[in-house]
Amino acid sequence: MMINPFIKNKKLLLIYSLLWIFIAAAQSLILIFIVDAPFDYSIADGIVFNGLYSFLGLSFWYMVNFNSLDNYPAYKIILNHIASAAIITTFWLAASYFILSNIIDDPEYLTMLDESLIWRAIAGIMFYIIIIAVDYVIIYYNNFHDKVLKEAELRTLVKETELKSLKYQINPHFIFNSLNSVASLTLSDPEKAREMTIKLSSFLRGTLSRNENRTNSLKEELENSRLYLDIEKVRFGDKFDYVEECDEDCRGGEVPAMLLQPLFENAIKHGVYERVEKVTIKLKCKRENGFLKISLENNYDPEAVPRKGEGIGLKNIKNRLKLFYDNENLISTDKSDGIFRVNIYIPEKK
Amino acid sequence: MKKIKTLIVDDEKLAREVVSRYLSEYDEFEIAGECSNGFEAIKLINEIKPDLIFLDVQMPKITGFEMLELIDEPPAIIFTTAFDQYAIKAFEVNAIDYLLKPFSEERFKDALDKAKLSIGNKSDLRDKLNKLKETDREKGERLERVVVKHNNNILIISVDEINYIEAQDDYVMLHTARGNFLKQKTMKWFEKNLDPENFIRLHRSYITRLDAVKQLELFEKESYRAILKDGAKIPVSKSGYQKLKEIMNG
Repeated sequence: MMINPFIKNKKLLLIYSLLWIFIAAAQSLILIFIVDAPFDYSIADGIVFNGLYSFLGLSFWYMVNFNSLDNYPAYKIILNHIASAAIITTFWLAASYFILSNIIDDPEYLTMLDESLIWRAIAGIMFYIIIIAVDYVIIYYNNFHDKVLKEAELRTLVKETELKSLKYQINPHFIFNSLNSVASLTLSDPEKAREMTIKLSSFLRGTLSRNENRTNSLKEELENSRLYLDIEKVRFGDKFDYVEECDEDCRGGEVPAMLLQPLFENAIKHGVYERVEKVTIKLKCKRENGFLKISLENNYDPEAVPRKGEGIGLKNIKNRLKLFYDNENLISTDKSDGIFRVNIYIPEKK
Repeated sequence: MKKIKTLIVDDEKLAREVVSRYLSEYDEFEIAGECSNGFEAIKLINEIKPDLIFLDVQMPKITGFEMLELIDEPPAIIFTTAFDQYAIKAFEVNAIDYLLKPFSEERFKDALDKAKLSIGNKSDLRDKLNKLKETDREKGERLERVVVKHNNNILIISVDEINYIEAQDDYVMLHTARGNFLKQKTMKWFEKNLDPENFIRLHRSYITRLDAVKQLELFEKESYRAILKDGAKIPVSKSGYQKLKEIMNG
């Protein structure tokens, strides 16, 4: 809940006070010139009634905040406001009447006060409606403002993520090394060279045609990643094995396009690349309480002193998941006994 | 005519194959060995003392550059790399040649011709190797680890382990909890390439990791010493004291 803007914002408070002074003056003038009440009684009348209301009016803010559409259905809010308008107006009239009748003992004025109560009640309810209307407008405006800010933030995030994924799209190292492998294979095994060229082309096509906002079935994503892994296998010989443990009912699940690619790249880079021994890369997927849980693990060398570039890929994935599902907690990592594991949770469509 | 002993160092078998195939066309070169990582390579280099190395920059465990830092006798080096802007800058000045993968046979022949001219000119090779060792990181890129030789083992030390660095003639001594290691680099190089947020040069002969400093004490009048958490006492020069004061008050 926000702080009452009429108290926090000096300018608003000034306008609010001036309006009440104006209303009090108008009321006093009406009493003097139209009702012919004595001057000092009229001034007291204006000050007591309106001064009291101006304080009460400040408290409406909390009521309005409490009665937001997020908490209650509309009819309930209207009922609440009718009730509180009645209670506040009654209290206000009773309190003002009590004060005035104690400081003024002029029967003529008191009769006028009794007779005008109904008008004053109407005015009280009017004031109530106007003040809560203004409060609602302020809340609406503030929320709108926040929303605009949030959207701007999101847009920046999208841009950043896109930029980073562009970097991912074309990883020059991977491309040139693969081309070098192809060049080498043309000398030793032309058949294999052709196979690799085709795989590399298919993989690059898949990567270049990706769209930030598109989802793919897990099956398609895994096929593309397998192309990548096949290429890397040619490069690294038998330095790693790839194992897939994927429940059949997961393969149709939708995941953001190219989301898994950086994970595989990470596993190759930090697992296979930094190790002289053989590495097992294992992908598991299963359904788990409304999520598609995808885990990728690889054994790594706990002794290896990390180089730069760790964490960028994971951060990028986190950002993309946030953009897609508006949730920051869809990725987790853990390291234990020389195994590094990334878990991704994709919310299932209802 | 003695053949030119050549070593091929690359973590990818196919990449090594290209070099060995191309090289088999030339009678004056012989392949003395192939290695798939820097550790093996260093062992082999010390053993067979090759005249020429084809060296891949990006390798597991330690990079081609880190590997070079541990070689004493300078062979001629031709770098091979897929894509590495920073390395290329370094080669242009100080390497005999570098080959961008994939490379053609003509380009390969050029590199061999250049190598032939250099082999035998030991002082020039040593000069080049030393300059390569002193290559600075790319702008904004900080030194994160240092490889050292220790009783015939190669250790990789994260800079976070270094408590302080001490100048010793042509070398520097890295003081860590794991022990003290000599490294053939200059103080200037370390000062330039370490993250200035974490390391400070307190004295002409000392660089200290800020987190390792426990307190400053007045040593004689007008001069201070830094007491480190591991108990080491390090002299602090006037300018070092000023730097430290700025950090403390900043």
